[in-house]
Amino acid sequence: MTSTAYENPAAPESDLRRRGIRLGDLLFRGIAVAAALAATVLLGWIAFKVFDLAWPAIQDFGLSFVWTDAWDPVTNEFGALIFIYGTVVTSMIALLIATPLSIAIALFLTEIAPRKLAAPIATMVELLAAIPSVVLGLWGIIVFGPWVRDHLEPWIQDTPLGWLPQFSGEPSASGIFTAALVLTIMIIPITSAICRELFIRVPKDLTDGALALGSTRWESIRGVMFAYAAPGIVAAVLLGLGRAFGEAIAVNQTIGNRNAIPSSWFEPGDSLGSKIASEYVGATSLEQASSILYLAAILMVISLATNLVAQFIVVRFERARRAV
Amino acid sequence: MKRILAVSLVVLAAVALAAFAGRTQSASAKPTAGSLVGTGATFPFPLISKWIPAADNALGIKITYSATGSGAGIAQITARTVDFGASDAPLSPDQLAACKGCVVIPWALAGMSVPYNLPGVSKRVILNGPVLANIFLGNITNWNAAAIRALNPGVNLPDTKITVVYRSDGSGSTYAFTNYLATISPQFKSKVGVNTSVNFPTGTGARGSAGVAGVVKSTEGALTYVDAAYSIANKFQFALIKNRAGGNATPGVRGVQAALCDLPAKVTALPQLKIVDPPAKCGKRAYPISTFTYVVVPTSSGDKAADLRKFVYWAVTAGQKFGPPLFFVPLPKSVNGFNYREIKKIQAGS
Repeated sequence: MTSTAYENPAAPESDLRRRGIRLGDLLFRGIAVAAALAATVLLGWIAFKVFDLAWPAIQDFGLSFVWTDAWDPVTNEFGALIFIYGTVVTSMIALLIATPLSIAIALFLTEIAPRKLAAPIATMVELLAAIPSVVLGLWGIIVFGPWVRDHLEPWIQDTPLGWLPQFSGEPSASGIFTAALVLTIMIIPITSAICRELFIRVPKDLTDGALALGSTRWESIRGVMFAYAAPGIVAAVLLGLGRAFGEAIAVNQTIGNRNAIPSSWFEPGDSLGSKIASEYVGATSLEQASSILYLAAILMVISLATNLVAQFIVVRFERARRAV
Repeated sequence: MKRILAVSLVVLAAVALAAFAGRTQSASAKPTAGSLVGTGATFPFPLISKWIPAADNALGIKITYSATGSGAGIAQITARTVDFGASDAPLSPDQLAACKGCVVIPWALAGMSVPYNLPGVSKRVILNGPVLANIFLGNITNWNAAAIRALNPGVNLPDTKITVVYRSDGSGSTYAFTNYLATISPQFKSKVGVNTSVNFPTGTGARGSAGVAGVVKSTEGALTYVDAAYSIANKFQFALIKNRAGGNATPGVRGVQAALCDLPAKVTALPQLKIVDPPAKCGKRAYPISTFTYVVVPTSSGDKAADLRKFVYWAVTAGQKFGPPLFFVPLPKSVNGFNYREIKKIQAGS
């Protein structure tokens, strides 16, 4: 009994045991390499398959598909501009609202809220991300959309913003604006959770130092915390953007699904993900099906590009910070 | 450098694998004899769900059906990944050619209703083809428009904006409804057209019957189209449609049956199955918006041919009695000859 507990750690291990460890080592390495390879192969395969199936449309319409403002399955005229517009505009509105809110939530949780309050609120905000998007979309149709139409949009029209053409026209339960607000709700948990993590990691010495030098709390947050966490915040925001770009179902349920670029954000439009979700299954012609896959290819390229830009910005910020 | 090489090798391997997988794909999803796999239209799904246990009892054939949409039904039967496809729209000449020897057999019939949400109006609203076409074209935008008031004397129609709600997913309901509107209105035919998904110039889209129903429920002044069975099951208020005889028709079994009066005594080709907007001689009861829905079967079906013949024949004969409780209308006798002839073409083949 005691001999095992006080074994000399420097003594050479038995051959059998060493081999056992080596086998485990080998097995672990094998699994790790296989998993990493499988992920890479899968990415390549999916990308290939999407472009392969989109090929008839890519050949038919060429690159002008991207800026063609038409989608008519009756006459087989297809273009992506309507959906690129819908995707980009809904995501940007969502980003514009979600970023300050997320940072504010993160600051509240790390700086202002007493610890007893911070933990449950943080959990609640993160649980918001656990609502399945289809459920959120359903709530968007039944509860949120009608509220936006009856209260929020008329209110916006009464403010000076109402003069903008984007906020003109008839308030509507489903449209670009409603979809953007639902996306906002979806990305806040992601960005605020990452921002909170970032703010917690800011070394206490730095903020204390700033306070000791006579800066106010806000000045220390602005000058020290933000500067320290900036690359992370950008990455968090872009991660949220990636989420917004790719969301299909909740947008599909709330954007109104009209094949047109609306002059007002209150009116229905459509997004890439939403269009793919709603029309692929019912596509009646090869042109339509492959045009939808062309949309999928565009969405994939946009999402990958966002991710790459995020990584690039993070690297640049890191470098700049090290140089200081 | 090494890293780039490794990545490119992996991508190359992936592409090779994908090409290989693409070639072997079509050999999958073929179960053993005595069972049939089908996919397609959602519109006849309630009826097919009744058929599945009944056909198992009567014929000993196990049927698996997934309601994926008419487009998927056509695509999958063309790729031969299933034994039969189902579609609410008859195949276009291009699709028929692509399907390489497929027969298209009408196997169910039902009406489309036009539900609306107008709180405070207890009397059924009456609409007709031209008014519906103008509403869906965006020409009529208010419930108290003169054209609607003229059809509804004595009804106090509110000054409410009409919100058109349509199916955003490809759907046989859209095909049936646009088919009716295009028959009535040349402007609708040229501006919008007939298809399972079209560009309505006005309104908002929603996914599936449940989706459009949800939007209509939460939007005052909304108007949409769904199959009659769905409307009745969910107790929706739906419009009466004025037909050519001047009657205000409902999409019940008798209304749809009356609309069949103009079919030839012996149907010989699918284009003869035009039942929307029936002529005045069909009577005041004839409901003007109804549609056939079809099964698509390859003429050379290998060892499945015998089971397919048995099942489709059973569906268009004995299977029809399951229809009326679900607001599906039994097929008219005039299509029997056509159906039997087409069913006979389903053979083992080469």
